[in-house]
Amino acid sequence: MSLLANTGVLLGKELRTEFRSRELLMTTVVFILMVIVLFSFTFDPSSSEARRFGGGLLWLAFLFAASLMLQPCFLREQTNDTLSALRLAVSDPFAILLAKLVANTLFLLVTELLMLPVFAVLYNLAVLPVFGQLLLVFFLGSLGVSIAGTALSAISAQARMRELLLPLLLLPLLTPVLVASTQVTAGLLDVEPFIQWKGIGFLAVFDLVFLTALWLFGEYLLEE
Amino acid sequence: MKNLNSVFAAYLIAWGVFFIYYVSVARRAAALKDELERLKSSLNQSANRSK
Amino acid sequence: MKKNALGAAVVVLLLACAAYAAFFIAPTDAKQGVVYRIIFLHVPSAETGLVSFFICFIANVAYVLKRQPKWDWMGIAAAEVGLAFTTVCLITGPIWAKPIWGIWWTWDARLTSTAVLWLLYVAYLMLRTLIEEPERRALLSALFGIFAFIDVPLVFGSIRWWRTQHPQPVIMGGPGSGLDPTMKAVLFFCWAPMLALMILLMHSRYRLEAMRGDLDVVRREAEAA
Repeated sequence: MSLLANTGVLLGKELRTEFRSRELLMTTVVFILMVIVLFSFTFDPSSSEARRFGGGLLWLAFLFAASLMLQPCFLREQTNDTLSALRLAVSDPFAILLAKLVANTLFLLVTELLMLPVFAVLYNLAVLPVFGQLLLVFFLGSLGVSIAGTALSAISAQARMRELLLPLLLLPLLTPVLVASTQVTAGLLDVEPFIQWKGIGFLAVFDLVFLTALWLFGEYLLEE
Repeated sequence: MKNLNSVFAAYLIAWGVFFIYYVSVARRAAALKDELERLKSSLNQSANRSK
Repeated sequence: MKKNALGAAVVVLLLACAAYAAFFIAPTDAKQGVVYRIIFLHVPSAETGLVSFFICFIANVAYVLKRQPKWDWMGIAAAEVGLAFTTVCLITGPIWAKPIWGIWWTWDARLTSTAVLWLLYVAYLMLRTLIEEPERRALLSALFGIFAFIDVPLVFGSIRWWRTQHPQPVIMGGPGSGLDPTMKAVLFFCWAPMLALMILLMHSRYRLEAMRGDLDVVRREAEAA
């Protein structure tokens, strides 16, 4: 079977596994909500301040949520010992990684889009006029988080203290995503919204570079 | 020449960092070498005994 | 042993020459006075740190492809030494900034990026301490090292773009900007001793790791006997 076909099948499995219980999605959504509410205590949540800090706090919340949400990605396979079965089932191990990263991107996007209206209401920010552009930056940013996160989740699953290790490895690596996404989002939430194409460009480059790295070195991540 | 202290401090700290690193590596290497000699000689002894 | 002592002596001599040049050959800066002389320490250590991390990257790729322990030893040696140089860069930066700007940290693009670089390689070292099995540790840390290094230009690029959005005092205007030709020459000259120091430190750290590898082998033999 081709890479895409394999990936499709595995993606279906990932999505079905999650939507059966929805526990990952629900816990992540609640976590982001908590961070957004808690953040409001750390500065004066007036409109102008919210516009200045909103983009940053939103992406920080997404990053923290992702570093928790990505934990089970490979731990699940470890506890059930299904990784070797998966490897036997596909000809190209990259299909496994691709399926997981697409699933993770989708999960992240769903939680982000669920949280966006809550964020807009709590901080009185107009998100509807720029919804399309916000979707673009959310997608590119989440893709970057997922690509790096899936790879590092495979690494941390094989180490001790994995709950602490994954954020430790992931957060510095995602600095470019945080910087670029925050800048673009802040621009979109401004009084006169504008889109910073340079930031979008950065995110696209990050995604491309890490996807290529994952394609080149991914099979070694899955070695037994 | 004001701020000369800052310059001296920077150089001292920098060289200090490198020196401490070098010494710590050298010390660990010496300890490891001793352990290696000890193990090798005990291996030789047990090899001789079994002959 | 003798070769080591000779090498160390050569490096110390080179560093002394560099310090002499930095203090007595380079002219005093009109604006910053004496303090700017920290540049002869700050910039070469930053650059040497990056060179070390590049060597670490090469060693990581080589290990993943060839699986020979010597590449793993090279990787950890290069990462630790790179971290030492990066630490020196991060310490000398604030020591330079305080007298000039009155504050320790200015979120200057280069310094901020260096701080993230430092965090990345600290994470690399932490990862290594958390995996016990030597081959697994070598492979997984090599893979993380590869991801970390390809991230470096992205980190520097994105943070530089971020800082152009919010201009802040810059510790140094850029490698060549506003530098007198003598200063530039001394700066270039000061890099060589740093690279020599890097090689010396890497060599001794590599040998330490190689000895550890030997010790493991001998221990296993001892247990079998």
